[in-house]
Amino acid sequence: MRKFCGALLFCFVFGMAAPAGAHHSFVVTYLPDKLISVTGVVSEFRFSNPHGIVRFTVKTPEGLEAEWRAETNSPNVLRRRGWKPDSIKIGDLITVTGWPARDGSNLIRVNKITLPSGKELVGQAPAPVSKSGEAQ
Amino acid sequence: MVRGMKLTGALCAAAMLVLGGAGSASAEKMKDGHPDLSGFWGVKFERKPTGQALIDELPKGTVMIKDTGPGELKEGDFGGLTLTPRALEQVKKYSYANDTSVANNCKSPTMAFLMQAPFPMEIHQGKDMIILKMEYFDMVRIVDMDRSKHTPPDAPHSKSGDSIGHWEGDTLVVDTDHLESGTMMNNGFDHTENMHVIEKFRLSPDGKTLWATQLYEDPDTFEGKAARYLSWTRKPGEYVYPYDCDPNYLKE
Repeated sequence: MRKFCGALLFCFVFGMAAPAGAHHSFVVTYLPDKLISVTGVVSEFRFSNPHGIVRFTVKTPEGLEAEWRAETNSPNVLRRRGWKPDSIKIGDLITVTGWPARDGSNLIRVNKITLPSGKELVGQAPAPVSKSGEAQ
Repeated sequence: MVRGMKLTGALCAAAMLVLGGAGSASAEKMKDGHPDLSGFWGVKFERKPTGQALIDELPKGTVMIKDTGPGELKEGDFGGLTLTPRALEQVKKYSYANDTSVANNCKSPTMAFLMQAPFPMEIHQGKDMIILKMEYFDMVRIVDMDRSKHTPPDAPHSKSGDSIGHWEGDTLVVDTDHLESGTMMNNGFDHTENMHVIEKFRLSPDGKTLWATQLYEDPDTFEGKAARYLSWTRKPGEYVYPYDCDPNYLKE
């Protein structure tokens, strides 16, 4: 992951917490306190539950190509935020902002996606990580 | 299995015709005098519980699990529960790497975990039956209001369990058992088939918010009692979407 930071438009860290929970544990797969942005060309967009997937190709500073996957929130949730199955098209140059995978693979959980038109598709907003329950 | 799903769908459709659609008016009371919970309910994200009164009614010593809606517990955080050796052993053997396996991706949780997910629901309310049509994993919960005893012990267990309900004043109380074993909080352990859940549902005075608590007991999984607090906002005219789950979504 780190070696690809140079290929990113910008790679930055926020004091942010994990987004909405899903059918599997977000915090186990992604770094909840770090947001990065990755720019690339879309090769596939799957708009299906439990989560959507955007595959895109990123050019590294060395001129190589790296394949990335961006995991979205549930399409059911996204529909209510204005997403459609054809919101993202193959060939689109997009910038994905989100939380990187813990294992350093080219996988990112979508916070938002910026389309060629400049329009932003919000996937999920950062939200507080729960702490241990308190006995009443 | 597909035939079973179609049959369930047909039964639910028939029941909903009898009970009335999700878009029905939000009158404060039904003809039978009970609060009208029917309609579409979207998850309400609250920083501070507005239904604190329901939380205050939980038994003393109940552990509140705070992972509802947008919240999520980190690996190794069991929400304050004291796990039994059985559950701890399960955690020890659990592989988080398999969390997003094809086998796991479309595995629905039971109602003990499903209700907290950030997805809406429709409630279809009748005198003898109340249906909770959940968007998450298309679960349909049938609450039998015309029965005081659960099905026999050897009756099948399921994701939605066997739910019987009654009214205590303006509060709907739902008692559920006959659950399958299923994840408790996506953190490496499952509740057992002996899980017992008591839910309380209550409308806010203006009828726009639905509050609920789920009280859990499963001595083979954790000590004492635990609970979650849930809340929804009434959104007339909206409907749940189908939940088509693709287990291969993360496959290379």
